[in-house]
Amino acid sequence: MADVTFTVDGKKLTAPAGTLLIDACRKAGIEIPAFCYYPGLSLQAACRMCVVRLEKVPKLQTACTTPVAEGMVVTTESDEIKQSRKAILELLLGNHPLDCPVCDAGGECELQDMTFKYGAAESKYVEIKQHREEQQWSPVVFFDRPRCILCYRCVRVCGEGMDVWALGVQNRGVSSVISPNGEDHLDCEECGMCIDICPVGALTSGTYRYKTRPWEMNHVATVCTHCGDGCKTTLGVRSVDDGSEIIRGDNRDKSGMNGDFLCIKGRYAFDFTTREDRITKPLVRQPNGQLAEVSWEQALEHAGMKLREIRDTRGGSAIGVIGSTRTTNEEAYLLQKFARTVLNTNNIDHHRTADYASFAAALQGKAGRTASLRDFLTAPAILLLGNDATEQHPALAWNIRSNVRQNRARLYVANHADIKLHRQAKSFLQIPQDGYAALVQYLAGNEAGFDGTEISAAFREALRKEESLVIAFGSEFRGRDIQSLVDFGLGLPNVKFAALGDYANSRGAADMGLMPDLLPGYVPLAAAKHFGEEYPSLPSAPGLDMLQMFDAAEAGNLGALYVVGSNPVERYGIDPTALKNTFLIVQDMFMTETAAVADVIFPAANLYEKSGTVTNTYGDLQLAKKAADKAGVRTDFELIVRLADKMGADPKKLVPFGRGVRADMGQTRGAQSGEADRHAVWLAANNLEPKLSPFDPFAVFDEIQRLVPSYNVSRFELLGGQDKQTRSDLVQIELDPARRDLVLPANDTLFTSGTLGRYSRMLHSVMESRTTKPAETAAD
Amino acid sequence: MTRGWCKEYTAASYTVVMSIVRNIAGITKGMSITFREMLQPTEVENYPDGPGPTRGAVLQERFRGAHELQRDENGLEKCVACFLCAAACPSNCIYIEAAENTAEQRISSAERYAKVYNIDYNRCIFCGYCVEACPTDAITHGHGFELASLNATNLVMRKEDMLVANVGMPGQLAAHSDSLK
Amino acid sequence: MSTPATTIFSPALAARFDKLVTLYPVRRSALVPMLLYSQDEVGYISDAVVEEIAVRIGITPLDVRNVLSYYSMLRTKPVGKYNVQVCTNISCMLKDGYGILDHCKQRLGIGHKEVTPDGLFSLEEVECIGACCWAPAVQINYDFYDDLTPEKMDKVLEDYRAGRGKETL
Repeated sequence: MADVTFTVDGKKLTAPAGTLLIDACRKAGIEIPAFCYYPGLSLQAACRMCVVRLEKVPKLQTACTTPVAEGMVVTTESDEIKQSRKAILELLLGNHPLDCPVCDAGGECELQDMTFKYGAAESKYVEIKQHREEQQWSPVVFFDRPRCILCYRCVRVCGEGMDVWALGVQNRGVSSVISPNGEDHLDCEECGMCIDICPVGALTSGTYRYKTRPWEMNHVATVCTHCGDGCKTTLGVRSVDDGSEIIRGDNRDKSGMNGDFLCIKGRYAFDFTTREDRITKPLVRQPNGQLAEVSWEQALEHAGMKLREIRDTRGGSAIGVIGSTRTTNEEAYLLQKFARTVLNTNNIDHHRTADYASFAAALQGKAGRTASLRDFLTAPAILLLGNDATEQHPALAWNIRSNVRQNRARLYVANHADIKLHRQAKSFLQIPQDGYAALVQYLAGNEAGFDGTEISAAFREALRKEESLVIAFGSEFRGRDIQSLVDFGLGLPNVKFAALGDYANSRGAADMGLMPDLLPGYVPLAAAKHFGEEYPSLPSAPGLDMLQMFDAAEAGNLGALYVVGSNPVERYGIDPTALKNTFLIVQDMFMTETAAVADVIFPAANLYEKSGTVTNTYGDLQLAKKAADKAGVRTDFELIVRLADKMGADPKKLVPFGRGVRADMGQTRGAQSGEADRHAVWLAANNLEPKLSPFDPFAVFDEIQRLVPSYNVSRFELLGGQDKQTRSDLVQIELDPARRDLVLPANDTLFTSGTLGRYSRMLHSVMESRTTKPAETAAD
Repeated sequence: MTRGWCKEYTAASYTVVMSIVRNIAGITKGMSITFREMLQPTEVENYPDGPGPTRGAVLQERFRGAHELQRDENGLEKCVACFLCAAACPSNCIYIEAAENTAEQRISSAERYAKVYNIDYNRCIFCGYCVEACPTDAITHGHGFELASLNATNLVMRKEDMLVANVGMPGQLAAHSDSLK
Repeated sequence: MSTPATTIFSPALAARFDKLVTLYPVRRSALVPMLLYSQDEVGYISDAVVEEIAVRIGITPLDVRNVLSYYSMLRTKPVGKYNVQVCTNISCMLKDGYGILDHCKQRLGIGHKEVTPDGLFSLEEVECIGACCWAPAVQINYDFYDDLTPEKMDKVLEDYRAGRGKETL
């Protein structure tokens, strides 16, 4: 829209016509206070804090509902306005308890800030404040009615933002009260957005309440470790006896692709890190068959010696490696490099949840065709094929909903189930579960094999008219189906694609070559020319995939299996006795089904306890920073390097540390020698390490960027905490048509995430409350 | 001076005489205290061999000694673990861990209480900011001053070390303890 | 956003609702009339009414309750067969509306928003019912009785008790 010029506090401002005055002012650095206004939500004009004086208008006007107009003259601060805001605050404080010292919001409360600013501490009211008991609406949501200032932010974010509509306002006037949909409890997605968005301490979180104060925590911006969306999250951590503990997760600074959104898992399910049954000491199986705690040195020595013995006697092909979908890119890369150069084997695989290899093959050489999670927030049209994004990719669903609501994006959904995003869809097509391939053929104009109806014809027609489209497809698409979908998409103008897989770094694991036939960057083993220098003894034949490894183990042909952060026994339903003749090393946090039959168990750190990069399922590369700490555990990175060292390999060949970059640790400074270098101190404070250590992920990231061109993104922006889209056009592969994709979708819901969620008490209690609560109400 | 020392001799001599008189008066006033005190009985603070719980030390009410954590009239701890003392502390010597009161175990009168409350007397400078910051008057300065120790680790006082004894019956004020630790 | 298979309303009312939701550009505009009509038929807004209206309009039961709790004329508890609503707004108050209210309370033995044990009468103090010219006025179900004195009020109540009142419910 055309720009208009107006004057605010004597300053000439310009903004597009239709912009709200409050937004235009904030953009120009003029702060207008508001409780009820929240960017992205519908307007309420309930709090009257944002009142401003407009010239020639008799009364004060609310800046949150006034669009800017040409020649408008606005005053945002004057004695009159101050007086008005002060009076509003006095009214709000009329029944607001002054329990700031105990309130969770104390220190980050908007009402507190405003009271400080406008000085409404003295009240003319003498009536006694009415106290109401606090209510618990769910294991994670508590409501303290007297603290509520009725801004309706929670009601709107739950309804409009989440499309759950679990909160409402009952009664009217002074007796208005926020109420949950289940009379006395909430029946919702438990995302905690209402708590996050509450300007005061009326809604408090079950995990965080009364534990600390906001300024007492360290706040670390990192990446969520649950699903494949890669939400940015700011973890509040505090020190405890054995490290530092995460007590809060949110994204109030709206950094990252998820804005301020986090789902239940991101917001609450970090408590697996502090579970008391977490393994914190290395365990080695004794001759009597029992696992016993041993020292790190002994455990590493034992594992290294055995691996070396098996490699030297039976060859590398008798060793298998299974990687993780939760480790960083550096660790995944290092693991496959360790397997290929130290263990001399290509028997390496991971739990695949989407066929990223076929996706990469389909898009090779085509620039700008992968969609970032950000694209779903701005794209004019979106096609979602398969996958229930509300359950499996909550941030994607949030971005799609926001886009539909704010930009009127057109959403096309084709799914075998009636998924919740149907409600946002312009057009919805229900197809048989095995009908996705036929649907793509149908969309491309080949009607055979698809029962076309009027609806599907209209669906196709509307799609073909779209001038710019983002296509997201779930794990229903594999192999050739992906190729034909991409072929169909490329026939339309301006199409971008996204493959939806589960887990925090599934994409990274695939990109980093945790596959028997593909090197990092999906380079086939046969075409590994530029890998020669770093991979001197690369075996040329493809190794065994996950299932073949277990077959080999059962046949007694697998001497050793090294499992990093994965639980194949449970996930693939493997009979544990198949591994009885295999020397099994497991690195994990908990005694999983796989760890239970291991010969050596190393306690490993999780993604919240290490630094590195992760790639979400859309190919957005982000920096994860170390937030929590747990005494006794080590990062997978360190464990791999130490194991290689024990096997007699040169760690410097594995991790090219100390190359290129120098850090002065203070040795060279004469009188000040021994004092830590300022740069090193800064690095340590930012959870980075100077590249003098074989445990520095950035030394490996150097090598990744050198060998995997698609990861060669701006390091500067990455370190600044921004997400950078990897470039799939730089991938060059040719896939064997007979290649097995072995995709096993996790099929997680909002409240489960098989690998980590099962260790989260909070998720369990939420699930329990959901299974018992409806029964109670039915009995009423 | 510049005003007095000018043309007229009489004015100058008047100034000189007056200054002598003022000096004599000042000395007399000062010495009178000396002579009066000479005639009073001797008073010695016989610390540490004196009587009473302070062993002879006389402390002013305003003296800022070792901290005390107070209880309310029901014997519950006044501290609600708001962390404001820790935030106000210039030497960063207060460490708190908060926890929530439960129906079975009520420690403080509000929702939250201090599970751990440590003051590191290696660092404390007895400035009193914590006392000033406390919204519930939970932390006060007692008169304890015998804090010296041969082992620095002994100087980290825990909540149990600082909490006043719960001697009052419910509804009765907990006795203010002025004794040394 | 559909017509439920089984309805708790009479066929006539159900048919009326079917039409009502199509009259407005937004279905939820039919909410308040639907609540009023169901109250007339059922006597009060029961949980079942809330559920069915939510289904018919295609909103959540919570949304229905939000609106329901806003209007004091919509009730969630059953009232007596005859709901005596005594106006005590200015005109009626000046003409001794409180006297009529107190008289009713005493005569029926119940207070504000209460029901007689036999379920015949309920009493309610209400705001202006628009009969100021003939204050004090009382509304029983949908019928007006104005220019009342305690004696006239007794007569009205007696008529209802004897079954001679207008049957509108």
